[in-house]
Amino acid sequence: MPYSFPLGPYHPALEEPFKVKVQCRGEVIDSATVEVGFSFRGIELLAQKRNWVEVITLIERVCGICSNTHAMTFCMAAETIAGIEVPKRAAHIRTIIAELERLHSHLLWAGVGAEDIGFHSLFMEVFTLRELVMDTLEAISGNRVNYGMNCIGGVHRDIPDPKRHLPALDTLSKGLAEIVIPTFTENPTALTRTRGVGRLTREQAVEWAVVGPVARASGLDIDVRKDQPYLSYADLGFESVVRPEGDVLARVVVRALEMVESIRLIREALLSLPAGPLRATQGVPEIPSGEATIRTEAPRGEAFYYVASEGGATPARVKIRTPSFVNIPAIEAMVVGQPLADLSIIQASVDPCISCTDR
Amino acid sequence: MTADRNRNPRRLAEALQAIPGVRTVTERNGALWVDAPLLQVEAMAAAMADLGIRLGTVTAIPHAGDAESTVIYHYIDEHRVINVKTCTRNGALASLAPTVRAASWAEREIRDLFAVEFPGHPNPVPLIRPDGIDTATLRAAMCRPAEVARKPVSPLASPSANNPARS
Repeated sequence: MPYSFPLGPYHPALEEPFKVKVQCRGEVIDSATVEVGFSFRGIELLAQKRNWVEVITLIERVCGICSNTHAMTFCMAAETIAGIEVPKRAAHIRTIIAELERLHSHLLWAGVGAEDIGFHSLFMEVFTLRELVMDTLEAISGNRVNYGMNCIGGVHRDIPDPKRHLPALDTLSKGLAEIVIPTFTENPTALTRTRGVGRLTREQAVEWAVVGPVARASGLDIDVRKDQPYLSYADLGFESVVRPEGDVLARVVVRALEMVESIRLIREALLSLPAGPLRATQGVPEIPSGEATIRTEAPRGEAFYYVASEGGATPARVKIRTPSFVNIPAIEAMVVGQPLADLSIIQASVDPCISCTDR
Repeated sequence: MTADRNRNPRRLAEALQAIPGVRTVTERNGALWVDAPLLQVEAMAAAMADLGIRLGTVTAIPHAGDAESTVIYHYIDEHRVINVKTCTRNGALASLAPTVRAASWAEREIRDLFAVEFPGHPNPVPLIRPDGIDTATLRAAMCRPAEVARKPVSPLASPSANNPARS
């Protein structure tokens, strides 16, 4: 007999509030409806009540994981309106922080994913590696999250001794190559819980307009770093990671291999850090009337900002579309016909961020 | 996903110009901006689908003087953003959600926050608005002039609710 029940908003798999209303027939899911909005904060409105510098601090709080993405993308929009070109050294430093943030995010996800399939020892291994990334971010910015690195026109902090951070990258590479990637891709427990589970076909990925690792795991070769290069990605070269299978395992593999590419990018950027200033302007630049749209590749996928200025002390409009806002609805397509027991790992495989979604 | 013809900016601009209601297509700040006050949104959706260009999101900017709003459809062809700017008519625009799945949540959110109606939406239930709260949650607050709020109080707070500890 068909039955339904609400999973969430207080959630067994995630620390953030969202709800999946599931219709089941026996142990198999017939359909699901996702509900969000339990932690709406009105950040887009608040951005109209702060000056351009205060908004950077505000916007960085859209998300506790991809915080740098939001502050950086907002600054890029303001710079585009004002016609400010960021110095090469600042662009390199922004790239390094963005890729460290991707490592932080993907390792956090891998730990949560391991926990969701009951693989606690893997969770511990992953989080040990994640600490290396957090330590590196703290050494550069002074903060483990909300790094406060971005300002309009460049970055606040330098990386005075880039080679100091290379040993951490070596340890991280070794840990990924010897523990995390083999365990997720070869261990029978992990494979049983991920292979063929929660499939999203290429056609469905196009239909639901998903982005980031979710899209690339369904065979869509889209990545803003490659398609519309920004910061130093064109200089450093970039290879996107694409898998055709569309299941949870493919999403795991895409994120795992992206971490390898991120480490390469960080290493290259550290070793080729150009000399020069950190900021294009002194003081707080005036942002003239105008509007701009900016895309960046956040850890979870494309982040999109629309920013409008009327030449005043505060933005006239800030629109934020996070990757989770378009990826989370696709859970409804992924879970159909799947065992109820897999719901937790399927929704986790999207790496949903409710803080981002609700804003 | 992206058709090769979109790589040619001139041909893309011609295709956009052919959408009913489009007045001008200009390039600025690294994106294409399409001005179309009387846009036929279903025709736009069909044209974009034909071009293989996905809908990224939708922005609404409420007008202070009336119940209308500027609505910007942000399309993405992976190499550039195409912003199609139009205006609501009697506070409404036809929903794209029946044919464009990515429009569904965007339209529901805009309805919750700014009371823009999207007739034809297949599931017009609140997305982020709790039960019992009217639409237009942010409309009045967002219509006020953008200015720095010197005191760190919520712009949604009423004057009578000022916290004396903050004054």
